Amino acid sequence: MTVAAGIGYALLALGPSLSLFVAVISKKPFLILTVLSSTLVWLMSLIVMSALWRAFLPLKTAAWWPYTILILTSVGFQEGLRILFWKVYKKLEDILDAFADRVSKPRLFMTDKMHIALAGGLGHGVAHAVFFCLGLLTPAFGPATYYVEKCSKIPFFLVSAIIALAFATIHTFSMVIAFSGYEEGNKVDQCFAPVVHLIAGMLTLANLAFGGCMIGIPLLYCVAIVTLVHCGKMAWRRLIESRRREGNFSNSQ
Amino acid sequence: MDNGSILETIGLEIIGVMSPVSICMFLVVLIVYSLTSPTTKTPSQQLRTAANLVYLESPTDTTSQKLEGALLNAVVFILLITLVTFLLVILYYYRFTNFLKYYIRFSSFFVLGSMGGSILLTLIQHFNIPIDCLTFSVLLFNFTILGVISVFSQGVPILLNQTYMVALGIIVAAWFTKLPEWTTWVVLIALALYDLVAVLAPGGPLKMLVELASSRDEELPALVYEARPNVGSRTGNRGSNLGLLLAGFSDGDPIELRVMSSSENVVQNDGVREVMSSSENVVQSKEIDGVREVETLPLMGSSSSNERERPVANEEIIRESNEIDRSRSRVLEREIEEEEEERGKGIKLGLGDFVFYSVLVGRAAMYDLMTVYACYLAIISGLGCTLILLAVCRHALPALPISIALGVIFYFLTRLLMEPFVVGTSTNLLMF
Repeated sequence: MTVAAGIGYALLALGPSLSLFVAVISKKPFLILTVLSSTLVWLMSLIVMSALWRAFLPLKTAAWWPYTILILTSVGFQEGLRILFWKVYKKLEDILDAFADRVSKPRLFMTDKMHIALAGGLGHGVAHAVFFCLGLLTPAFGPATYYVEKCSKIPFFLVSAIIALAFATIHTFSMVIAFSGYEEGNKVDQCFAPVVHLIAGMLTLANLAFGGCMIGIPLLYCVAIVTLVHCGKMAWRRLIESRRREGNFSNSQ
Repeated sequence: MDNGSILETIGLEIIGVMSPVSICMFLVVLIVYSLTSPTTKTPSQQLRTAANLVYLESPTDTTSQKLEGALLNAVVFILLITLVTFLLVILYYYRFTNFLKYYIRFSSFFVLGSMGGSILLTLIQHFNIPIDCLTFSVLLFNFTILGVISVFSQGVPILLNQTYMVALGIIVAAWFTKLPEWTTWVVLIALALYDLVAVLAPGGPLKMLVELASSRDEELPALVYEARPNVGSRTGNRGSNLGLLLAGFSDGDPIELRVMSSSENVVQNDGVREVMSSSENVVQSKEIDGVREVETLPLMGSSSSNERERPVANEEIIRESNEIDRSRSRVLEREIEEEEEERGKGIKLGLGDFVFYSVLVGRAAMYDLMTVYACYLAIISGLGCTLILLAVCRHALPALPISIALGVIFYFLTRLLMEPFVVGTSTNLLMF
């Protein structure tokens, strides 16, 4: 019974990512490699952050400001890494295009580029869900469950799975938005990812208050939905544009 | 969009190696996790194996005692392995190939039958699966015999062979996880160092073995996983795709240009040689007069190294240009095809690498799930680095050192640094 519950928590956190992986990523080996490397990058960022904060943990105070600083630094560091990731990707794109010319294949399509961005984001999201939710699930397979004092209505594992799902969504799709923002030089899209990440991180601060999770989690899901809708709109617009451009191109020929 | 985007072809060979390794690690983690988690408190009886001949770890020993004993164990284990490998090389050198093959068949029979059987028995007891003795023994016997047949035989589908290789890896790794903790870590590190020396140093036993096998043009008489694709022989040459990407990028001259221009007698291109190093052997071994054949050889080389893309076109060119000397071109083609067959085996990974990757992950599984993920990612990325190096270096490389080093580093970083941080933040339901 508890094994079923544990698997249920895991699927709740990772189910959408899993289906995305099976449907889109797993058919293209290069995307699998992208997911793996992006997961590794996220893991390393987490290790660096924990190395920095190791001396101060565990925090004895109940005050919220040290946690605010913690989230600020972590988000800042990870957003810095995102820019680095973009630079590396840009180099990789040139290599891939050169290789495509070499083997007389078409160059990267626009959808290919978005797939790569999606894979990178999925890596981040999966890493988040794995380390913040799945990594703690070990006791969930045992005979009991665990409640946090601050959020006493729902089992801890369920709460963390729900939050991890929201974050996986945000990470996955904000990477697509950020990459297209960098590519088009669109300032709004470039700033969208860090801002959303920061807002989402700050919203979890609400969980420090008694019963705060009843407010924090719905707000978090609002942020996730906003990200999803924005990403969907952007992808739709770019697809339409590229199709129109292709149409013009073939007409002019 | 006739042949799809480029993303579908790059990295196929890497995934072809990574996925069996992942499956192996995943199953070992499941076995370890399901068998150890309920009974962690009861001290399991210690086993005397080759890896802890000298020292048996007990929880009451001090750290220095444990370290000392573990080091001694590792030294003895490595010495044993070195001796056995040299014995193998000697036997192979004096062409006791059949003896080796039968010995390996016997040992895989033993591993599958007794060790696998005992693991299955434990699982059956643990999960209370109702099965009678007779059925179990018949099933086990069939499983074992099929495994023995699948080792070193050509008629068996490659998928079956690969499955049994993974099964052997899982069984041996599940046994190795029963070693005490300190011994496991020290033995793993020692093995990585041994692997580095044995494959790369001149006179290293594994290097000698590989060179001997390739000079005799035979298969290695050892348990080796072949990441050969199981869809027809024509697509068999993915191993060089990545090499093409890496080797070809340094000089910005596309292959197409070379293929076109080679008919204008611009053959002595260093880039071509770099990419198609193997076709040179043919050039040198077959003394060819006349420029035409020399011209076509790099073409065939290119056809063998990325024939997945343009097999038909290249062969047409070959046939066209060899019209004059038809019979000769037949011989050449056969030569090339043999070479393709030899190269078309894809990437090979020793079973030992499977085993020790899985041992590391299995050992990590005894601590926490988080360390498992970290170690898995580290090992896979180490394997990826090794494969990229393989595409650059083009000779046998040790697969253990990078992966094991990364795995060990990530295990301890995760355990010492990350775990308190993550547990501290997420029990407050703080995430970012």
